[in-house]
Amino acid sequence: MLRSALSPRSIPPVLIIALVGLPVLVAIWAGVTAGGGATWEHILANRLVPYTLTTIIVLAISAIIMLGLAVPAAWLTSLYEFPGRRLFSWALILPLAMPGYVMAYAWADLMGVAGPLQATLRDLTGWSARDYWFPNLFSAPGLAFVLASTLFPYVYITARAAFSMQSLATLEAARSLGTPPLGLFWKVGLPVALPTILGGVSLALMEAAADYGAADFLGVQTLGVGIVRSWTSFGEPNTAARLALVLIFIASAFLLAARVFQGQRGSQQTSNRWLTPRRVPLPRVWGIAATGLCGLILLICFFAPVSRLAWLAVETRASAQDLWPLVRTTILLGLMGTTGAFLAALVFTLSTKRSALLRLGARGVAAAGYAAPGVVLGLGALFILKVTGQALSGTIAIAFLVWIYISRFTSAGVEPLQATLDRLPKSLDDATRSLGSHGLNQFVRVDLPLLTPGAIAAGLILFVEILKELPATLMLRPFGWDTLAVRAHAYATDERLAQATLPSLLIVLAGLAPVILLSWRLGRTERN
Amino acid sequence: MTYRTHKIAGLSLLVGAVAACSNPAETVDTPTAEDATRTLTLYSSRHYDSDKALYAMFEEQAGVKLDVRESKADQLIETMKAEGDQSPADVIITSDAGSLWRFQSAGLTQPLASDTIGAAVPANYQQSDGHWYGLARRLRGIAYDPARWSAEDLATWDKLAEDDKAGEICVRSSSNIYNLSLMGEIIHRYGDEAAQDWATSIVSNMARNPQGGDTDQIRAVAAGECSIAIVNHYYWVRLGASEKDADRNVAASTTFLVPEFTAGSGSHVNITGAAVAATADDAALAEEFITFLLTETGQSYLTRETKELPLLDGSPLPEGVENVPDFTASDANLEIYGENQAEAQRLFDLAGWN
Repeated sequence: MLRSALSPRSIPPVLIIALVGLPVLVAIWAGVTAGGGATWEHILANRLVPYTLTTIIVLAISAIIMLGLAVPAAWLTSLYEFPGRRLFSWALILPLAMPGYVMAYAWADLMGVAGPLQATLRDLTGWSARDYWFPNLFSAPGLAFVLASTLFPYVYITARAAFSMQSLATLEAARSLGTPPLGLFWKVGLPVALPTILGGVSLALMEAAADYGAADFLGVQTLGVGIVRSWTSFGEPNTAARLALVLIFIASAFLLAARVFQGQRGSQQTSNRWLTPRRVPLPRVWGIAATGLCGLILLICFFAPVSRLAWLAVETRASAQDLWPLVRTTILLGLMGTTGAFLAALVFTLSTKRSALLRLGARGVAAAGYAAPGVVLGLGALFILKVTGQALSGTIAIAFLVWIYISRFTSAGVEPLQATLDRLPKSLDDATRSLGSHGLNQFVRVDLPLLTPGAIAAGLILFVEILKELPATLMLRPFGWDTLAVRAHAYATDERLAQATLPSLLIVLAGLAPVILLSWRLGRTERN
Repeated sequence: MTYRTHKIAGLSLLVGAVAACSNPAETVDTPTAEDATRTLTLYSSRHYDSDKALYAMFEEQAGVKLDVRESKADQLIETMKAEGDQSPADVIITSDAGSLWRFQSAGLTQPLASDTIGAAVPANYQQSDGHWYGLARRLRGIAYDPARWSAEDLATWDKLAEDDKAGEICVRSSSNIYNLSLMGEIIHRYGDEAAQDWATSIVSNMARNPQGGDTDQIRAVAAGECSIAIVNHYYWVRLGASEKDADRNVAASTTFLVPEFTAGSGSHVNITGAAVAATADDAALAEEFITFLLTETGQSYLTRETKELPLLDGSPLPEGVENVPDFTASDANLEIYGENQAEAQRLFDLAGWN
């Protein structure tokens, strides 16, 4: 293992790993070497435990909500036929196009004490705002709901894959033995699929842990908020980096969990087992209930918030005229970041096939980057910039920004690629080699075609993620390179939510095309 | 090995190539004057259309090109620190004296000795060595339910800490710079211990956990969830000047008040201000720009959309600001907001003010 990691051919992947890892390593180094100081002592004594507990509570509730939304929806759309199933099976991925902070703006407006829901309630009942209990969005569970409603599609995708990959024979056997649908789910479907699903949950939670925008807007004191606060209020970026260590540690635990769960998936499967089980039509009443459930999920996680934003935009007669340049910048930066992160993910996935040590390094580095809040990576980048003695403008700023995109999101690209690779029988690789195909030849003729479905998924996910990225873009973009996310955030922090709605909607719109494409791809892979 | 090296070469080429391509949006925010030879680079934490119009006027008048980087103040600070000597920044504009102090204490500003500007800006709204100057004023005050309280009940910040306000106060989170600066002056006036007691009493009088922005606090008063909102004056003014009926109703159902610290102490005033960056190589141009912001046109455009108060007494008030009651400004020097900032956050944390 060590020998293969030290061979000359591993130099390029090691370099790429270093490139991806450098910003987060710099941030970690800043955290470790930061002097103690009064601020750190204050945080250690008074804030560290509350920040950490709040973060863990938010993540735990998020996990439960994501499972509750994704698993039933995936089970129903995978195994049963009911009105609207085809539509739901892809539309349930749409919330992925919503950034967490946009979801927070929309739901805060809908559910706030002055929002339409509570105002209507007061109008109908004649109560005052203190006469009734109403779910409080500005709380840990509220934040968990907001994050879960944008991230559950990741769990949905893995759950669909898990249910579709299940041994056809087991399910058919259970069915033919007369196992009722619910029993089928609890006794056969869920236990087999659970490790894969929990792997998906872990990854979604890493993303949730890195959130800052939504938590800050809702006033929930997570580690992400604490990190920014120790930077802004106390003026100590090093303390921020040190606090980020805790977050990176939590995220590493999730990554480890994901590995452990996925490790339980068992041995290599042969191709005929991936077939989607036959879909059984649901009886009328149950069919309507299934339609209602999927429709409700879509309404809450996508259509209600999007409609509210659209309504606000129309109501204030917002003009999109000066937003088009931002759309262009957003897409251009998205494409650059996607290209970079995708290539890095590809190198990670392929070049580490034969070395466990390299794989561990690559995974660790990518995961640390994925779990680190964009702010922390941005600070790492600024530190590197300082060493190089350059100004943050023009090509240099763009290069740094794209670098941070790569550092932050490579992990999101590695996952689909690795999942595709894992499904290929190991024997295939050996067969290729025994036929004398290796190197570039093997890559072009064997690996690339086989990886295509995963590669497309990876590219689309990366693009959507980078479109939504806020903190690093805010810190590193050069003059005149404002993105939609930057503009939306500027308005929202200025409490001009009405003006923030249009750029927010455009982010969602820009993300919809790749998300729909992704759904369509997933649908196709499934039918194969 | 070959394909891997190719890939890496490809990666760096691609990233480099796309990065080097022309800047798509450069001309959008700041129209380029073709013949402009001089460039003034502005780092600003504001983002208002009226600012852009104002900058365009200056470009035309002075025959320069203005490059504007808009970001949050803290991010601009980190950017400038990282850029070091290479920073293109000439002028910094940011809201809140606490933010200006952050730039100054990071060594990112240089003193500007300008008789014109020094004479125009009141002494306590400029840094004593000329590191920064006020451009517009903002008040931290109270929007309250007039059916529940009289102005007398809320005349000082101390009165908010009294028991009869239990469950009545709505305010945003403590890390917000407006709260930190207010607390900075409270620390200055009352001392650490009394300031912490004050914050602790406010926390126990809160109607709900700190959440949302200032506007959300005013809406909560209108909806009846609390009856006292601690907010900056312009959020209240903007609601009153909104195109939406619902917003105007919110403003109409509340009254704005600018409390004092103790009777006769004067009220907490904050500023939006400008500083000359340490890296500015044309200080005269920077001075010309700041002087321009202090003309009647400059004052009018700076406050038109924000609804701040102009810094210069003679300047016309933006629409809606006339509803803010008269006040006597505290004579404290605004430098204390910055100096007490970290302490303010620490005391807020200890008081349990999220």
